[in-house]
Amino acid sequence: MSTPTLPRPAVAADSLAMLRRSLKHLLRSPDSMIMAVALPIMLMLLFVYVFGGAIDTGTAYINYVVPGIILLCAAFGASTTAVGVSSDMTEGIVDRFRTLPIAQSSFLTGHVLASVVRNLLTGAIVIAVALLMGFRPTSDPMKWLGVIGMIAAFVFALSYLSTALGLLAKNPEAAGGFTFVIMFLPYVSSAFVPAETMPSWLRWFAENQPITPIIETVRGLLMGTPIGSSAWLAVAWCAAIAAVGFVWANVLYRNRVTR
Amino acid sequence: MTTATLAPDTRTTHPGPPPAARSISLSQTVAQSITMAHRGLIKLKHNPEQLFDVVIQPLIFTVMFTYIFGGAISGDVESYLPIIIPGILVQTVITASIVTGTQLREDMDKGVFDRFKSLPIARISPLAGALLSDMVRYFIATTITFAMGLAMGYRPGGGVIGVVSAGLLVIVCAFAISWIFALMGVLMNKASSVQGISMLILFPLTFMSNAFVPADTMPGWMQAFVNVNPVSHVVTAVRDLANDGHFGIHVVWSLLGAAIIVAVMAPLTVRTYMRKT
Repeated sequence: MSTPTLPRPAVAADSLAMLRRSLKHLLRSPDSMIMAVALPIMLMLLFVYVFGGAIDTGTAYINYVVPGIILLCAAFGASTTAVGVSSDMTEGIVDRFRTLPIAQSSFLTGHVLASVVRNLLTGAIVIAVALLMGFRPTSDPMKWLGVIGMIAAFVFALSYLSTALGLLAKNPEAAGGFTFVIMFLPYVSSAFVPAETMPSWLRWFAENQPITPIIETVRGLLMGTPIGSSAWLAVAWCAAIAAVGFVWANVLYRNRVTR
Repeated sequence: MTTATLAPDTRTTHPGPPPAARSISLSQTVAQSITMAHRGLIKLKHNPEQLFDVVIQPLIFTVMFTYIFGGAISGDVESYLPIIIPGILVQTVITASIVTGTQLREDMDKGVFDRFKSLPIARISPLAGALLSDMVRYFIATTITFAMGLAMGYRPGGGVIGVVSAGLLVIVCAFAISWIFALMGVLMNKASSVQGISMLILFPLTFMSNAFVPADTMPGWMQAFVNVNPVSHVVTAVRDLANDGHFGIHVVWSLLGAAIIVAVMAPLTVRTYMRKT
């Protein structure tokens, strides 16, 4: 008697199915939807109107701050991803997925891709609100593609890292706590104020942490400011974070589902 | 076998007067409120994570705003400290007063207040006790914020008296505001709703004030709001006391505002609470 062979899972198709599932979760969670829309708007209003007049950046503050707001929202979105992964792990849905003939990695890929989609939409909201508030970018279509690519790369890398943190956490509350550091990083960068206005010890950290070259690259592409070596550093940081996140998430996932 | 039948009781029983409802004196009410406040402190002892907002928030906000934004707003960190420390203090303590409403709602949902109703205590004491115990949280937040400021180089010109007066003013104002959140806690159905709506009210009030940056750097339409925002008056009053030791008009406005809030909200909250429990 021959044992029936299960069809080999199609990774791309399974990942798309998981992406659809994650996006449906998002659409059915009004809290998340409101937060995804309200947060960037509130941050734009806060930084431009409350702090903007007091901070001297040598240019209109709105033109300076937009890349920082986009990345801050992406960092906030990373927390949502970690909590979502942790919820799935604790609610037992993963045990059901394991009984299906699907690629095991598709669960993680679905969450990551959903995070990228969600954060690109948030980025679009930030730019739309900024344009209404007087943001005037000087970039051509090619540079706009570069901006989208850079943001997508950053979100992709951050999403894999936060997926790993979600798997590491014992419960969704802890997952939210783990991503606090990620949410805090954009503040200690050149996102909202030039790094040279910070005390020397903090300036060193702000200039050498991963968020700063990404922000400088996006700002350069949008506003035509000099980018220098920031672009290569930004790509390198994104690749490194994505690689660490990918390996770590897959190892943690394998360990947790085979226990 | 014969069954014995009991003769019916033919005596007429006249129900006596109901036992007189024991009136509770003011001194007893105060004592019971203090006991309930002690209960709140015991809860804090067993759940120290409830102190997160009054311990961690002032630390993070003070460091973040001072070192990250200080140089860009005021030229250097030292110049920004007299602006930001009173601002962070007011924001932290007023935000901490939301917990009064959420804790009250959680207690009411758990049925603790139903148990209190069966005790021979003043109906107001669980409510008053909750508000009193939260004043300890405000005191912790005030102490940590000033201590953090001093560690970072803040040197208040008002001296010890100015700093203590500023701290007391903030605690009094937070106590007054906590009556608003207590009313919301009594009226609303979920603790998360109390938290969400309270933050929705406080976020614009604290940030659209002069707590973090001088009002004259803001757009004209926002300055108009900032200048009438009650939080701005409290922040200015705290700055006057802590930085100059000056008991000015803003201190008067802040105390008057606090008194009006308590005069209006306390009876309203108590009446609503009595009706609900």
